[in-house]
Amino acid sequence: MQLETFNYDNKIVRNFGIATIFWGIVGMSVGLLVAVQLVWPFMNFNTPFTTFGRIRPLHTNAVIFAFVGNGIFMGVYYSLQRLLKARMYSDLLSRIHFWGWQLIILAAAITLPLGFTTSHEYAELEWPIDIAITIIWVVFGINMFGTIIKRRERHMYVAIWFYIATFVTIAVLHIVNSVELPIAAWKSYYLYAGVQDALVQWWYGHNAVAFFLTTPYLGMMYYFLPKMANRPVYSYKLSILHFWSLIFIYIWAGPHHLLYTSLPSWAQSLGVVFSIMLIAPSWGGMINGLLTLRGAWDKVRTEPTLKFMVVALTAYGMATFEGPMLSLKQVNAIAHFTDWIVAHVHVGALGWNGFMTFAILYWAIPKIYGTALHSKKMASVHFWVGTLGILFYAIPMYWAAVVQGLMWKEFTPEGVLKYPTFLSTTLQILPMHMLRAIGGALYLSGALLMTYNLIRTMQKGKLIANEPAEAMALPPIHTNEKSIHRRLERKPALFMVIALIVILIGGMVEMMPTFMISSNVPTISSVKPYTPLELQGRDIYIREGCVNCHSQTVRPFRSETVRYGEYSKAGEFVYDHPFLWGSKRTGPDLHRVGKKYPNKWHYDHLLDPTLTSPGSIMPPYPWLINQKIDTASTAAKITAMRKLGVPYPKEYENYANKDLLQQAKSIVDDLKQSEVDVLSDREIIAIVAYLQRLGTDIKVTEK
Amino acid sequence: MSAIFFLIACSVFIALFFLGAFFWANKNGQHDDTYTPAIRILFEDDVISDGQENEKGVDESELNK
Amino acid sequence: MTPLKDVQKEQRCFHCGDVVVKANYEVDGHDFCCLGCKSVYQVLNQHKLTHYYKYNTHPGISIRKDKSQYFYLEDEGIANSLLDYKDDHIAAVTLYVPTIHCSSCIWLLENLHKLQQGVTNTRADFLRKEVRITFCHDIIKLKQLVELLTEIGYAPIITLKDTLSKSEKKDSNRLVRKIAVAGFCFGNSMMISFPEYFGLGTFERNYAQLFGVVNLLFTLPIMLYSGQDYFVSSIKSIRQGHLNLDIPLTLGIIVLFLRSVWEILSGSGAGFSDTLCGLLFFLLIGRWVQQKTYHHLSFERDYRSYFPVAVTKIDAGEEKTVALSALQVGDRILIRNNEIIPADAILLKGAARIDFSFVTGESSPVDKILGEIIYAGGKQTEQVIELEVVKPVSQSYLTSLWNDQKNKKEQVFFQSFSNKISRYFTPILLLIAFISLFFWFYIGEPGRAWSAFTAVLIIGCPCALALSSPFTLSAVLSVFDRNGLFMKDTLAIEKMAGIDTLVFDKTGTISTLHQKELPFKGSLPAMEASMVFSVCRNSNHPLSRKIVQSLQDTCEILPISSYAEIPGKGIRAIIKNKEVLIGSYSFVVGTDVQFYKGPGTYVRIDEHVRGVFSMEQKWRDGLESLIKALSSSYELHLLSGDVDRDSSVLSSLFPQRDYLNFNQLPADKLHYISSLQQNGKKVAMIGDGLNDAGALKCADLGLAVSDDVNNFSPACDAIMSGASFSKFCRFLGFSKKAMHIIYCSFAISLLYNIVGMYFATQGNLSPLLAAILMPLSTITIISFTSLTTRLYARKYTL
Repeated sequence: MQLETFNYDNKIVRNFGIATIFWGIVGMSVGLLVAVQLVWPFMNFNTPFTTFGRIRPLHTNAVIFAFVGNGIFMGVYYSLQRLLKARMYSDLLSRIHFWGWQLIILAAAITLPLGFTTSHEYAELEWPIDIAITIIWVVFGINMFGTIIKRRERHMYVAIWFYIATFVTIAVLHIVNSVELPIAAWKSYYLYAGVQDALVQWWYGHNAVAFFLTTPYLGMMYYFLPKMANRPVYSYKLSILHFWSLIFIYIWAGPHHLLYTSLPSWAQSLGVVFSIMLIAPSWGGMINGLLTLRGAWDKVRTEPTLKFMVVALTAYGMATFEGPMLSLKQVNAIAHFTDWIVAHVHVGALGWNGFMTFAILYWAIPKIYGTALHSKKMASVHFWVGTLGILFYAIPMYWAAVVQGLMWKEFTPEGVLKYPTFLSTTLQILPMHMLRAIGGALYLSGALLMTYNLIRTMQKGKLIANEPAEAMALPPIHTNEKSIHRRLERKPALFMVIALIVILIGGMVEMMPTFMISSNVPTISSVKPYTPLELQGRDIYIREGCVNCHSQTVRPFRSETVRYGEYSKAGEFVYDHPFLWGSKRTGPDLHRVGKKYPNKWHYDHLLDPTLTSPGSIMPPYPWLINQKIDTASTAAKITAMRKLGVPYPKEYENYANKDLLQQAKSIVDDLKQSEVDVLSDREIIAIVAYLQRLGTDIKVTEK
Repeated sequence: MSAIFFLIACSVFIALFFLGAFFWANKNGQHDDTYTPAIRILFEDDVISDGQENEKGVDESELNK
Repeated sequence: MTPLKDVQKEQRCFHCGDVVVKANYEVDGHDFCCLGCKSVYQVLNQHKLTHYYKYNTHPGISIRKDKSQYFYLEDEGIANSLLDYKDDHIAAVTLYVPTIHCSSCIWLLENLHKLQQGVTNTRADFLRKEVRITFCHDIIKLKQLVELLTEIGYAPIITLKDTLSKSEKKDSNRLVRKIAVAGFCFGNSMMISFPEYFGLGTFERNYAQLFGVVNLLFTLPIMLYSGQDYFVSSIKSIRQGHLNLDIPLTLGIIVLFLRSVWEILSGSGAGFSDTLCGLLFFLLIGRWVQQKTYHHLSFERDYRSYFPVAVTKIDAGEEKTVALSALQVGDRILIRNNEIIPADAILLKGAARIDFSFVTGESSPVDKILGEIIYAGGKQTEQVIELEVVKPVSQSYLTSLWNDQKNKKEQVFFQSFSNKISRYFTPILLLIAFISLFFWFYIGEPGRAWSAFTAVLIIGCPCALALSSPFTLSAVLSVFDRNGLFMKDTLAIEKMAGIDTLVFDKTGTISTLHQKELPFKGSLPAMEASMVFSVCRNSNHPLSRKIVQSLQDTCEILPISSYAEIPGKGIRAIIKNKEVLIGSYSFVVGTDVQFYKGPGTYVRIDEHVRGVFSMEQKWRDGLESLIKALSSSYELHLLSGDVDRDSSVLSSLFPQRDYLNFNQLPADKLHYISSLQQNGKKVAMIGDGLNDAGALKCADLGLAVSDDVNNFSPACDAIMSGASFSKFCRFLGFSKKAMHIIYCSFAISLLYNIVGMYFATQGNLSPLLAAILMPLSTITIISFTSLTTRLYARKYTL
């Protein structure tokens, strides 16, 4: 045992930092564009690649996985090394991790506009990218645990526990939610269907928020906030308690995203209860963070970084309080599918993740460049612009949500809907959406200001690529107690990795069979598989990202059954790989749209929505008329579906296209009668077929 | 609802994993001192602070071995 | 000279922050108060450890301890007895360093390796004020290490106790782990039970059985691991014949488990797995809360914590170190300055000026003449003396006193309230259970009989009951903690509430020595004050330092023509052709002049005795009002170790004149207390110092008053910081209220039990009801207790 000198790797921190800034700008700009499109449809530029349905996922992915993701890695790589008094385990792995992650993002940025999407929210990326993510994530894990193994500080600071939790859980979530059956290079179907698929997706969706957007940032909060304020965290005990209670509760809260859907009621209640329980640890964490600054508020006044942190924590508090509230059935009944959810996530994203990322950038970049920040003044300007942006974003959205939510539910004394046409409710909230766009613009401009500020800082200083440090080697624990897995205890990381593998194998082995057995959702005799044409149509529906604006699940409320028709049953979705329930109603629900309008109506509507519904903000889809249906893929799709338990007759794939053409022709003929001339091999035919099929399997008489 | 049981199983396994982790931490004495670590992280890695002269300082302690 | 004065006032020691009285300790622009601080700075600076001064200003401690006190570590045996671990070259030791007080301390200690080769790792524990050092003992010996620490101002305190059985702290982690398991099982079984409570879809029916079995699996670790303590303790209590609350709990647990097994395996019901898990989870948390104590304060101190590890024995003219245990009658021992005399011994050589404040409470040092017997526990305040041991350590006056009352202690057994209750609780519960059993049999519904029987035992399970006192008391505990009263455990609070008689010790308890300025009796003109000041500045004697501190603001430095310090007597110096004598009565006053004789440092200039810097104690602030407040509801006694100097003042303070007792030896105090107890009084002893230790332990509640709670205070149930002495009355009142809260919460939880009984006795107890009732009652109790406690705390402005 002697004094060891070593270097911290600041280069990788710098790289992730730059990536964070770059992708942050990109993601926010796309976000702004998306916001504008919701006000002025012409901003869709009339090309498939820039249409809302395709680039809204681009926005979410860019912000979550590119901006926040790189932010996480920056924070982790900076703090982990210093907390453990060790350089990252392997520079090579660090580099692979960095470039791998950037390539993944690049791939996403290319494939999503091209319409390659799985339609699972926050998991839109197709299977090849999913695999890449898995690999890179493992690389990250090895690098982290490797560092933990060769650490020189025995105690693992609470932040590290948050990082570990992040790694482990995200690994499991990602794998479970990416069980897809590939049918082409960029096309796959999910293993699960309908309700089950929804369940898996939102179990993932919720926990992704928990363990990608929350736990790593809590970890970073526990490291960077004390460092910035130069005072120990208010109560370290509490922080430890915070971690363990959070971990044990978070996992169960997922199902609250599916209230009033066809999910069994107990699963919904489960989600609610655990969501409520979540308030305790979350607020414990927030209070712990804020109290750390007690007696240092004078510092907060002068230090922009601390200003950012304070707002970040407050936003965290708001979001973590709001979440459970939204999971209450009564609240959910109104707020779900409205802009409330959008506001909710943005308070989290802009306030909690965004602001803390900014704070860390402002603090860490000067440090690793061995200089001071170019301009504190500019930083606090950024702070105020950003805060203003958040307010301008959130308040109108909450407002819009309440307005629209109530309009949807409002009945006249005579007992008929006050606003029967969905569009009227949409137009009502356009002004709020404009304000929202302004808020976004403000926030973005703040970020640009930061970019300039940091560039100047970097120019001013010089990167300390390898920061020297020294520490004594870790002495072995001297105890006489001899337990079986002592050897493992010596190597926590090894212990954890093994445990993780056990989990995964165990989980798979135990549960996989239950997938293969025919799903025991109550099947409804009249529910039949989609025809080849409809299947193709459905894939176009997925490709164009219609699910981003149109839900496909009618909840059992009078206001909804009157507006849309019979409420959705679990049994209706048994052949939906994937489910397309959606999470937001920018447009009306489509589950009962089938046979509601003539084919011509759909044709016109897709060609130019304003023809059928004046003032509609839905983008036009003229290209559907020019593009041919990809009949070559039909066979593969049918076989895949059969593999997944959809009862297509044997050999059906061979003559599926015959049926396809036949059905297409019938639609074309129908359109001809209403003076519309279109070729039968065009995509628009398929999607119309699909829309006309939606929700028609069970007759309303079967109540 | 096979998926739900699969998810429950996954969740339980994750929880189990963390329970194991908790045991390790607890046995390893990670929770023995729940105050000092919070202070410890505030210390700078002092090699930085006074550059080359401290390199000397390092050398000294190297010699000491 | 005025400018000079100002400068002096400004200067603070860069290291320890004391005022710099002498300008000539100055290194690279920093001033230091003394050579010690300066040298520490130089050492640190040379090793590039000046960060020490970056994290805090004036983090240092000006050195008073001299490192010679660790001489005994030379002895391999003794040194090894201190180590936690040792192999052929690595050794680890944990040292108690009370001077750890800021982040700089931690930083410096953990960078010890930069200061000293051979140190491989250091870890400081701020709250426990401990530092664990791993070092290569072939490079550096423990002695050098300890001396190094002392040099830089972190003198560890090593006592006889450390060498005895390494205090193996009971593993509270085990309990935490049990809670974790319980919590894990609770959460999961709760989740698994949801389908049952919220109705399964028809298609899930076939999973109901699976759920049940999984649930059972979750209860197994609860029974086998988390529950252990309860089974063990109830068996114990049955053996000892006094029923404690764990018995009904255990009953409930077992019944819950068995019935769940039966229901699930027979498919007749869903079972109570989640209730069982929840029950244990909450119970264990209660236990954990109850365990809450202040690790960094030690309440279990006996004479061993005061006595040195070893002494220097003079054997055939040569000095050698012997462990205290090896000390025998007739041995000649050497006692240096500030060392404690470990055994009753006769003074053979040297000027003995013994500070007996530990033993008798008498504050001022006593001069002893050759041939006099000096009792163990005294501390030599002057130069080296030689003594001959007349009694071995184990039998010396103090020790024996300690041991004999220790045996007494065993008989006293305090019944906590919950234990009292539970004596009746269990029989009644069983009674109801059996009644309902037989009743249903009588009616002729055996099936129902059993379910009723079990249901009663389940519902009767006094979970909330068991939680009410721990939660209340721990809340009280933290309130007291905030206000500078540290209870040994929750039981102490119950004891406190029951007290009706208060016995005070005088010196150091109701009076204190801690005061900034020394009152000077007599007259000392400014000029002469400056002379005294200038003289004392040259001496390192603690009293001189005190005088210097008290004078420095008003005096200036004068040139001294001659200076001589006479050990054990005082200082003789010449300033401006005037002879200045400062020191003990005999030295300064002599026998010729008649002058007030009292403890203190006397001053004579030429032929005129100017007066004395008296070491008088002064009453703690708020004493009078406190005594008044207390006298209304308590019987007040006073036991003073020293002469009845202030009897007049005290008798005016205390209501009953005849309860004032002076010249009390430790043994007397002890007997006084026990006699009070024999008269059926519930006695609280409020004292300090080792001389009260016996009494403190013997009393129903021993409360030690200490000006620095981290310093030594004798064995006791509670430690009160001197600052919060005036709050004492409110503490007592608050503790009484706490008991009221407990009674109320008991009532509430009983209410819950009764409500449950209504269903239980009829034998229709649904799992859902149990699952709701149990946590509900628990949560009510917890919130009730903690809320009311806070409320009362505010009422008492604590």
